[in-house]
Amino acid sequence: MIVTYNWLKEYVDFDLTPQQLSHRLTMAGLEVDYMEELGGGLDSVIVARLESVEPHPGADRLTVCQVNTGGEVIQVVCGAKNHKSGDLVALAQVGSVLPGDFKIKKSKIRGEQSRGMLCSEVELGLAEESDGIMILPTGLSLGMPVFEALGLKDVRYEIGLTPNRADCLSVVGIAREVGAIVGSKVRMPQNPPVSEGGVAVDTQTSVTIEDRDGCPRYMARLIKGVKIAASPEWLVRRLESLGLRSINNVVDVTNFLLMELGHPLHAFDFNRLRGGRIVVKRAVDGSEFTTLDGQVRKLAAADVVICDAEGPVALAGIMGGENSEVQDDTVDILLESAYFDPVTIRRTSKRLGIHSEASHRFERGADVDMVPQALQRATALIQQLAGGEVAAGTIDVYPEPLPRRQITMRRDNCNALLGLDLSAVQMAQLLEGIDVQVDSVADDTLTAVIPMARHDLEREVDLIEEIARLNGYDNIAVTMPVSRVVRRIKDEAQLFARALRDGMVGQGFREIINYSFISPTAWDKIALAQDDPRRSNVKILNPLTEEQSVMRTTLVPSMLETVARNHAYRSFDLRLFELRPVFKVTQGVLPEESLHLCAAVSGRRESEGWAQDSSPVDFFDLKGALESVCEQLHLCELRCEADAGEGYLHPGKSCRIYLGKQLAGVMGELHPAVQENYDIDQPVYLLELDVEALRRGELGTKTFSPISRFPDCYRDSALLFDDKIHAQQVLEVIRKVKIKNLEDVTLFDLYSGKGIPVGKKSIAVRVRYRSLDKTLTDEEINAMHAKIIKALGKKLGGEIR
Amino acid sequence: MDMKQKLEEMLAAAKAAVTEVADEAALQEIRVRYLGKKGQLTTIMKGMGALSSDERPTIGALANRVKEQLGQLFDQHLQRVKQQELSRRLEHESIDVTLPGRRGVSGSKHPVTLITEELIDIFSALGFCVAEGPEVEQDFYNFEALNIPRDHPARDMQDTFYINDDVVLRTHTSPVQIRTMLKHRPPLRIIAPGTVYRRDSDITHSPMFHQIEGFMVDENITFGDLKGILTTFIHECFGTKVAVRFRPSFFPFTEPSAEVDIQCVICGGKGCRVCKNSGWLEILGSGMIDPEVFKSVEYDSSKYSGFAFGMGLERIAMLKYGVNDLRLFFENDVRFLRQF
Repeated sequence: MIVTYNWLKEYVDFDLTPQQLSHRLTMAGLEVDYMEELGGGLDSVIVARLESVEPHPGADRLTVCQVNTGGEVIQVVCGAKNHKSGDLVALAQVGSVLPGDFKIKKSKIRGEQSRGMLCSEVELGLAEESDGIMILPTGLSLGMPVFEALGLKDVRYEIGLTPNRADCLSVVGIAREVGAIVGSKVRMPQNPPVSEGGVAVDTQTSVTIEDRDGCPRYMARLIKGVKIAASPEWLVRRLESLGLRSINNVVDVTNFLLMELGHPLHAFDFNRLRGGRIVVKRAVDGSEFTTLDGQVRKLAAADVVICDAEGPVALAGIMGGENSEVQDDTVDILLESAYFDPVTIRRTSKRLGIHSEASHRFERGADVDMVPQALQRATALIQQLAGGEVAAGTIDVYPEPLPRRQITMRRDNCNALLGLDLSAVQMAQLLEGIDVQVDSVADDTLTAVIPMARHDLEREVDLIEEIARLNGYDNIAVTMPVSRVVRRIKDEAQLFARALRDGMVGQGFREIINYSFISPTAWDKIALAQDDPRRSNVKILNPLTEEQSVMRTTLVPSMLETVARNHAYRSFDLRLFELRPVFKVTQGVLPEESLHLCAAVSGRRESEGWAQDSSPVDFFDLKGALESVCEQLHLCELRCEADAGEGYLHPGKSCRIYLGKQLAGVMGELHPAVQENYDIDQPVYLLELDVEALRRGELGTKTFSPISRFPDCYRDSALLFDDKIHAQQVLEVIRKVKIKNLEDVTLFDLYSGKGIPVGKKSIAVRVRYRSLDKTLTDEEINAMHAKIIKALGKKLGGEIR
Repeated sequence: MDMKQKLEEMLAAAKAAVTEVADEAALQEIRVRYLGKKGQLTTIMKGMGALSSDERPTIGALANRVKEQLGQLFDQHLQRVKQQELSRRLEHESIDVTLPGRRGVSGSKHPVTLITEELIDIFSALGFCVAEGPEVEQDFYNFEALNIPRDHPARDMQDTFYINDDVVLRTHTSPVQIRTMLKHRPPLRIIAPGTVYRRDSDITHSPMFHQIEGFMVDENITFGDLKGILTTFIHECFGTKVAVRFRPSFFPFTEPSAEVDIQCVICGGKGCRVCKNSGWLEILGSGMIDPEVFKSVEYDSSKYSGFAFGMGLERIAMLKYGVNDLRLFFENDVRFLRQF
């Protein structure tokens, strides 16, 4: 909502600077989003009189003017034609800066000196177009800034209204608030007198409401013989100060009152109303209607339409029809002032996608008491500006007056909720400031009657809010709550996620956050099988773009996009992870949201440097990081089984990850074909895990194992195995021998090639032995180690090299 | 030459020999030459047999003294030589300490996570617990139960992504309020960080962002308490010198509602581009929980009262870290991420 400082002053007295007003409005809940000085910085454009206007000796189109500034007479060259000696003009003196950063300098034009510029309305930002320079009305004092002399110096406020405050969608509404803030009453505007003709309105037209729910009240007046013309200066300016364009005197009056009183009005060309009458009813489902913006609208049975004898002439409370619009040759006008049901208007305007000034107000709730006032004022102003004869009397169809709300508020409740200690009388005074009529104050209970404009005041708590607001939030003391101490609601899953995140960061990974919605083309891009369940997605009905239209079922596509984007910026050494939910379609109302961990590594092991390990990362960097995190989180040991069976992973360099028997996810090198789909030109290693599955691998409370005080001893053995034997099998066989004094096993070398038969590989293990209660002898160690070698030979065909 | 003289000469010669010695090996050699099994002292001592029984004790004592003196001499010079050797070694050994250290890889949390954790810590210390809820949410929890009926203009405040007529991507973390209140009874002190979605995308709006919701319900909770808790939070988060103001606003699920502004942290309240010359920055929305909300979770609003608040985490992160473009949070450029 836009208002200006001067305009507000017409309706209410206040002693606040523009800046103070802005602050007070904001602190009363009418947030000033933007404040702008009109005519600001143009004080050097002054009222001046043309003493003489002579043709320019060197140019036909120019004139040389002697201009009296009130202090001196200066010469100015002017290119306009509409000025003459004696006119008062707007002189931009040397040094002025006009809108558009146009600086006025002293100059010589075709040999004649010019010390300023005579301005047009366009140049002063007062109009969109103008013909010649601005000729000012007589009687202004010379030397005075033009904006001040014309009363155009003003401050415009743009107020961001919350949707509950429909009552402030007008200058009068905001003036009422200002009055409440400073403690003065609003002056409603005075109307010029209306002269009524002899013929009664109800002999010439009629209004019938068939739909009382959609239209509780409809008033109309008839004005015959008007002359459609341009609006007078004051009206044009007023509309312009609100950013509205002048159309003609009749339409301008309705627009003006929309802003002034906040009540939407509509003017019909009476002679284009078939049958010369109005019927308010619901539309015929599926019928078509052309609104005055030329659009053909398809109506539904729930829409309220204003009809004449034959069909719709306006979409009630939203927009007029092309078939009954006021035109330049219109002579007779039927003026509508009505009240429509907010929900009905909202449904129609939403469905048709029409958002007009009228619908904005009706759907938030107009003021039914304003219906007669607005109609009376519109009639008076139209007659004043466009002439014509007003038919005697007013049509007012209001079959069932809307109930006037009465609310009781208990003083104790109010003070208890707000932390205040106001008396009932103080409360009553505050409420009366906003026209809430307090009928009685008995036993500390207030009974209040709510003005019809305040749709937001329905309950006791709504009045309590008004008390808080009008008394000032600043006047509520800051306190700390007194509350019982309670046991916390503990969420293990959330704590686990936090620990997992810390673990990943500890392993040198950076956390990323991607949008939860992605493109449905991602599934092909990561080569998911056609029957993969992850292709079935939660879809957004109204996505912003197709690229953001389905909810993720895996974090992989976004991760790959992120890797590709960073590569494009030449950041190649990446260790990234994302810990976010994925969304799985279910039979229930809501999808299943499960937290996933996705991580990726690429580039060099460490950043570049004289002493850094700059070899490229591989599968085992990622695996090692995961193993470390699992150890840190005290999870059971993870087990990898070759080939993840994922379309986006390299079949020979990927695996499924198990914690115990639980499948938790996959890990591996990005499939070269998928890598190409994402324009990535170096290997990327990825993992994706289900966090809940990880959490099920938790080993529980940590328990201490005793530490041996005796020396350790180890044996190294290199064994030849068949190529097909996996390291994990070797380690499992050793573990299964169940040697009590075996402390740990390390796989310290892996070799194949020269010296090793084809189809074989050498695996070297170091087995460390230590007893809790003695120093082991060589014989004892050798015996234990021999058992292990024997088992490896028997179970896996391992031979000592 | 008698033995006494021999011994004294040997001692003098040894003394002369060791003063020149510069390294440990040469000193060892000299030591062996005098004190070794076949050394000079042994050789001289072989002559003991030829001495008379009178002379023997005197010479014997002398020989022991000489042996002792030689030992001390060598030990002394060993110390000297070692010291000299160490000094020589240290003189030659040095590294360029200005070379960069050998670094491992370092990880980092997303700035939104950092802010979330900071806020959780602040509110945990005030006795609040963390709760969570689904991101794909039923209309009932996201709107209806929060007093935002269908066909209400308040729905326009949050442009919504729909999955179907009854399911939306939650537009705020407030549904967690409803879910928690339906599950637990007062007293409650909850914060709920989470991801939210609005159908809006430009330089200052992201279709996905993060919020933290908080609420407290008990007997006798007042608007003054709301001011107290939120002022404490802002002072913890932005410092105690930052001015705070509460101004009336509207949210369907709170009454009275308050928008909370802090003095602009960029210009200190003088007015700048970030605060649009107002000197204030809007930082969170809050209010006393509306009785309609209590009704939908079957709390007795004549017994209980409470307040709720919500704020955008990216906004807090932008103000705290001086990030000037919202989109950076979701581009995941490592040059951005490594700054946190």
